[in-house]
Amino acid sequence: MRRRVLSIMIMGLILVPFLFSAVAAKTLKIGSMSPLTGPYASDGTDIKNGTRAAIEVFEEAGGMPGYDKIEFFPQDTACDPRQAVSSANKLINLEVVGVIGAYCSSSTIPSSETLAEEDIIMITPASTNEKVTDRGLPYMFRMCGRDDDQAPAAAKFLKESLGAKTIFIVDDKTTYSQGLADGVKKASIALGMEVVAHEHVNQGDKDFSAILTMAKRANADVFYMSLQGYSPAAMMTLQAKRLGMDSQIVTQDAVFQPKYMDVAKEASQGVFLTYGFTDQTTPQYKAFEARYVPKYGKIAAYATYAYDSATALLYAIKAAGSTDPKMIKAELMKLDFQGVAKHIKFRANGDSGSSYIAYKVVGDKFVPYWEPVNGLIK
Amino acid sequence: MRLLPWHKPHLLVRPNNLKLRKLNTMEYFIQQLINGLTLGGMYALIALGYTMVYGVIQLINFAHGEFFAAGGYVGAIALAYFAGIGYMDSHPIICLTASFMIAMAYCAYLAVGVEKIAYKPLRKNSRLAALLSALGMSIFLSNGMMLTQGVYDKVYPGELFQGRFDFGMVTISYLQIMIVSLTACLLVGLNLLVFKTKIGMAMRATAQDKTMSALVAIGSNKIISLTFAIGAGLAAAAGIMYGLYYGSVKYDMGFVPGIKAFAAAVLGGIGNITGAMIGGLIIGMVEIFGAGYISSEYKDVFAFIILIGVLYFKPNGIMGENIDDTRV
Repeated sequence: MRRRVLSIMIMGLILVPFLFSAVAAKTLKIGSMSPLTGPYASDGTDIKNGTRAAIEVFEEAGGMPGYDKIEFFPQDTACDPRQAVSSANKLINLEVVGVIGAYCSSSTIPSSETLAEEDIIMITPASTNEKVTDRGLPYMFRMCGRDDDQAPAAAKFLKESLGAKTIFIVDDKTTYSQGLADGVKKASIALGMEVVAHEHVNQGDKDFSAILTMAKRANADVFYMSLQGYSPAAMMTLQAKRLGMDSQIVTQDAVFQPKYMDVAKEASQGVFLTYGFTDQTTPQYKAFEARYVPKYGKIAAYATYAYDSATALLYAIKAAGSTDPKMIKAELMKLDFQGVAKHIKFRANGDSGSSYIAYKVVGDKFVPYWEPVNGLIK
Repeated sequence: MRLLPWHKPHLLVRPNNLKLRKLNTMEYFIQQLINGLTLGGMYALIALGYTMVYGVIQLINFAHGEFFAAGGYVGAIALAYFAGIGYMDSHPIICLTASFMIAMAYCAYLAVGVEKIAYKPLRKNSRLAALLSALGMSIFLSNGMMLTQGVYDKVYPGELFQGRFDFGMVTISYLQIMIVSLTACLLVGLNLLVFKTKIGMAMRATAQDKTMSALVAIGSNKIISLTFAIGAGLAAAAGIMYGLYYGSVKYDMGFVPGIKAFAAAVLGGIGNITGAMIGGLIIGMVEIFGAGYISSEYKDVFAFIILIGVLYFKPNGIMGENIDDTRV
């Protein structure tokens, strides 16, 4: 009997290191979800880098009280709903406190439902589809704008600034691109413009010559291109130019990525796109630029939004002094500060407001061109 | 703001007097025909590799699409090198020819290596073993390109053949002319090689009967290597054309065109060279016309409907012969 007790005690010793490690290295775990492989890998990498930069800055400023360090777990969703759900499950098993992501709306929507079952805070820096925050999930937040704000802003731009009368719309049937294309169609018709066609292509298509010839025949004033990611958009722009399709190309926020100009070259010049307004003269933006660019390269698409999302999450956790999602949510709702991309103030449904303006491609830059209230900028 | 060399002032909105008339029905048809010819030509070049290899060793080489992608990458690297040392501006044609040569030679070499490593040891086994080996090779090569070249699109440098002709409202770019004419040259060259030379005769003999041709002193191993090399060389040429035409290449670009070209080879009658050319053109045309006249959403569906339809009435493909038992 004594031997048995002893052996159980000795076996119990095996557990000691686990207890020890749990006490010794107290880490706060933050996850991110974005496509790190596949066609949208570059946008996904921006989200990962933006989140990582925010964690680095926060740790340098003193870190999280009560924790030795913040551990970061970037996950690859590949813009695939199934993979997004499995990454969400992986992050749940890792016991993360909050998640920054995902990128594609079609990934964010199913994975947020998985995270919601475990009451994990999710802040998306990039998914603009309305449904993301319209489903009443208590812990779903959004740093970027909404498509039902983007679409009317785009339609207003087409009418007021470009004076368009006819529009040819094309999308690639993803939740995001089709939702936005439908929105632009509706808003344009409401403003009295004529939508001559609304066509679809498939994700992964490279040859758009047939549809572009159709657009050339339609000869609309504006060719509105709603595609997921810069890469197909760049190919379409290049082919449109080569085919002599001379409708004005207007596109949307997923194309806000300097690689677009690398691939489309001179065909990209003069293309307009709508994207959230970021005041690049604020000290916050300048500090971010000075820090981010040397380490991660050009600031693109959603790096700033990911940075703001992670910063907001970390501030809220710090203010709450706890990892209880209810308390973190209460603190998130109290936040009211100037971030890098925008002023951060969450609304009851988790949105943080949209500020869509039109940018114009000039050289290798996206130059702010028009805003809905005052018209032309400068 | 830094102005790039290709920056040009752009008209904001077209002034109304610039508004061109619309394409009429005929012009629309011709424009789509040109689009289809360009795409079909590229499919035909890839399809030839499938059909030639099948003709000689009855193997469907699923790694063939990766030779196409590898050709695109080697072409991009070679052109970037020439642009880097400044030859591109002074001798664009020489640089382009050299890039084609380098890419085709590299892919020919790669294909011979793949055959030696992945298919030759399995030649005596069942055909299923070689088929699985081909699928494995495809995944291996595609991932190899991803790891060495990165996940981003690799941009084709320079402004080669960016101009265009306008005939009324029909537009033909220099690139399309280049692609169609080069494809035609390659196809004619291949036909001459296969049907007019001794090597071609040896290839046809090996395809008919390996044992018998060995008895008349035709080295079947050499002929098989040569077949792989020629097929991969043509795919590499298609890869560079693809890169020039679409502006960039990517590690996974071989998959979809590979499948379409395989469908083209089957449609034309696998094992038949003329059939592969015709099949490639048909698949390209059907895709473009399906998209242009019916629905661009379902363009891939049309190509495969044609495939199924033809196979239903003519199981050996358009040009396929009735294969007798001794050949299979």
